[in-house]
Amino acid sequence: MFRYSSAFVWLGVAAMGLTTLPAFAQTPNEVLATLKTAAAGEPNFQEFSAARGEQFFKVKHGKEWSCTSCHTDNPAAQGKHADTGKAIQPIAPSANAERFTDMAKVEKWFKRNCNDVLGRACTPQEKGDVLSYLLTVKK
Amino acid sequence: MNQRVLVWDVPTRVFHWLFALSFAACWYVSESDLWLSFHTFFGYLMLGLIAFRLVWGFMGGHYTRFSEFLYSPLAGLRYLRQALSGSGARYIGHNPAGSQAVYLLLALGLVVGLTGMFAQGGEEQHGAVAGWLAVSTGIIFKEAHGYLAIVMLLVVIGHLAGVAMESWLHKENLPRSMVTGFKEAAQGSAVSKPHYGVGVALLAAAIAFGIWWFFYAWHEPVAKHLGYGGAQPGLHVAFVGPKLPDNAKWRDECGGCHLAFHPNLLPARSWQKLMDGQNKHFGTDLALDDATKAAVLAFLLNNAAEHSDREAAYKINRSIKASEAPLRITETPYWVKKHAEISDAIWRSPKVKTKSNCGACHEDAEAGTFEDAAMKIPK
Repeated sequence: MFRYSSAFVWLGVAAMGLTTLPAFAQTPNEVLATLKTAAAGEPNFQEFSAARGEQFFKVKHGKEWSCTSCHTDNPAAQGKHADTGKAIQPIAPSANAERFTDMAKVEKWFKRNCNDVLGRACTPQEKGDVLSYLLTVKK
Repeated sequence: MNQRVLVWDVPTRVFHWLFALSFAACWYVSESDLWLSFHTFFGYLMLGLIAFRLVWGFMGGHYTRFSEFLYSPLAGLRYLRQALSGSGARYIGHNPAGSQAVYLLLALGLVVGLTGMFAQGGEEQHGAVAGWLAVSTGIIFKEAHGYLAIVMLLVVIGHLAGVAMESWLHKENLPRSMVTGFKEAAQGSAVSKPHYGVGVALLAAAIAFGIWWFFYAWHEPVAKHLGYGGAQPGLHVAFVGPKLPDNAKWRDECGGCHLAFHPNLLPARSWQKLMDGQNKHFGTDLALDDATKAAVLAFLLNNAAEHSDREAAYKINRSIKASEAPLRITETPYWVKKHAEISDAIWRSPKVKTKSNCGACHEDAEAGTFEDAAMKIPK
């Protein structure tokens, strides 16, 4: 009796797990690996550093905004667009499983946001540092 | 020797008081956008009641049949003159003047109900005749609806004055008769059958319609009001309307940084200009690849203001000069006019902050429908 019921419970849990598993194209670590391949080809490449990424994320780069203007000081928290006030879901993968799971999306947002924050495109080194930092952020 | 006779059968009394209730309820909320679904419910109820009464005029109890009070308007006026001079004869059923009120109220109720239905079907694309008419035609029906309702109110006032006068003239309580159904009458006067079954069925049908309507239009907002969703206090009855065209790519791309403003809020030429300048979109390079840009633009152009049957789309589009292609919805003359009364304090309030934050007041901003009833200024 007991064994049957617990078996059903586990079956249920497994079924729920299967149906709720999001079908992401990539994992954030795979995205990081792709960035590393790109960065490694550049001169002056250094191992990605979470500390450097955090610094990059939190300071201004000569323009009005930093990354934190929209994403806040805590990447695991919900952010808010500095201009429009639109809610922005957490950027850290630990708090938002959708983040950094689609390389095309990652590149689009880096292009758009680096333009806003730095007035230029980010280098693969900078992107890798930032993602390394975001991957260290706990929920 | 007088006796108590049943004059008004049960269905006629149920009809009368529900008709009166519907009219009063419609008037009471007629100026309120929030209560539009309430107004509409009683409008449909009124139409249903009138349809019943028209049939019942041929099948009902003795005094409720049209053949029993077929008086000409002239006969009505003549009776009115006699009554005013204190010499009007007493009628057990409808007197010639009161009959005019019956006919006028039935006719006006029908026309007011139908114009209301077509106003909503045209202007809001809602209800039983949604999509039958263009917004511009719906606006004409709405005007007619308002004027005819005033005429109907005048007839109701005349009816009430007549009832008061007759009650005083013949020393009998006419409103009570419409509740109990009975009047004093001479021996041998005709008697109506009560028709309990039909009366109960009519009442049950009205209640069933109310219950259905509750789940159709009120359940969700009321539930929200009572607990979840963090809704503001105050009963908010947003109305159910048709959904607008949607597109995942548009919602994803445009909704990333701000509300995904529905394409029907600007004309096609504005969207074309906006997407041509996507690399300098209000200071930001959207960095859209060509395929994405083309897909989003196609959705925007196909569903732009001039291709939409929504009220806001129609009015925004009409307000923009043909030579102009504004990039901000908030720059269109209709938007400016519509929001002129919003005070600076509201714009600056932390819940609003920016004019692009449509969702602060319009609950259905994400859906793009901008229903009258879904608008509420946050406190």
